[in-house]
Amino acid sequence: MTPHVELALFIVISATVLVSAVAVVAARNLVRAAFWLLPCFLGVAGVFVLLGAHFLAAIQVLIYVGAIMLLLLFVLMLTRDVSGATAAPNNRQAGWAIIAAGVLAAVTIGVVSRYQWQAGAAKPSASTAEVGEALLRTYLLPFEIASVLLLAAMVGAIVIARSDPNE
Amino acid sequence: MMPSVHLEHYLIVAALLFAIGAYGALARRNAVAVLMGVELMLNAANINFVAFWRYIEPARLEGQIFVLIIITVAAAEAAVGLALVLNIYRTFGTAEIDRVNTLKG
Repeated sequence: MTPHVELALFIVISATVLVSAVAVVAARNLVRAAFWLLPCFLGVAGVFVLLGAHFLAAIQVLIYVGAIMLLLLFVLMLTRDVSGATAAPNNRQAGWAIIAAGVLAAVTIGVVSRYQWQAGAAKPSASTAEVGEALLRTYLLPFEIASVLLLAAMVGAIVIARSDPNE
Repeated sequence: MMPSVHLEHYLIVAALLFAIGAYGALARRNAVAVLMGVELMLNAANINFVAFWRYIEPARLEGQIFVLIIITVAAAEAAVGLALVLNIYRTFGTAEIDRVNTLKG
């Protein structure tokens, strides 16, 4: 991939991510906000592809787009009247939240762009096979802990969401 | 100078995404919308991890493994958090967190 193509792809993908993220937090209708998550998460998967992490891009599409967004939509539709927009989507701190987020972004971008990173152009990346190898050899313990965490979360979610324990 | 994408560019995009997610988590009234903001922040952190992995230590795979674990934790967080939202909705009749302000339901 030539540098020009990479730069163009990067600009398009990051603009997609940021614009749809703004739409997610600004949309008055929450179902629309949930649907705006779709281009945002797909764009992040595109960023992973640009960075050479193909396995993570596939996982991002499967988990975020396939599972988390669907779960958010389900709960939105179960917990509110989806047809009518509510009175106010934001609370009273919205003004302060804009200031806090702006300061956060300004400080982070200032630090990131001033620091002299010891990194040149992107280095060659590892393949998916190497990631799988590392996951099942070197990092087997975190892998197993993650699976136990998922099991605990699954049981917990079922117990918490159950309507009536006496049924 | 060659026009190419550097580490800083990814970090700046991630910082902006994190700030947008933080705004969403702070300003929204609906609990599900707050969770959407948290998911955006987690995605920003993941972009940072992968960018650092690619540009600084591509031979070591910690960056990718970390992102995998974060995605797992995000899935667990979404499942339990949304179950809690459902339960709050049943108890209080609303999912707007500024109206859920009593400890005893």
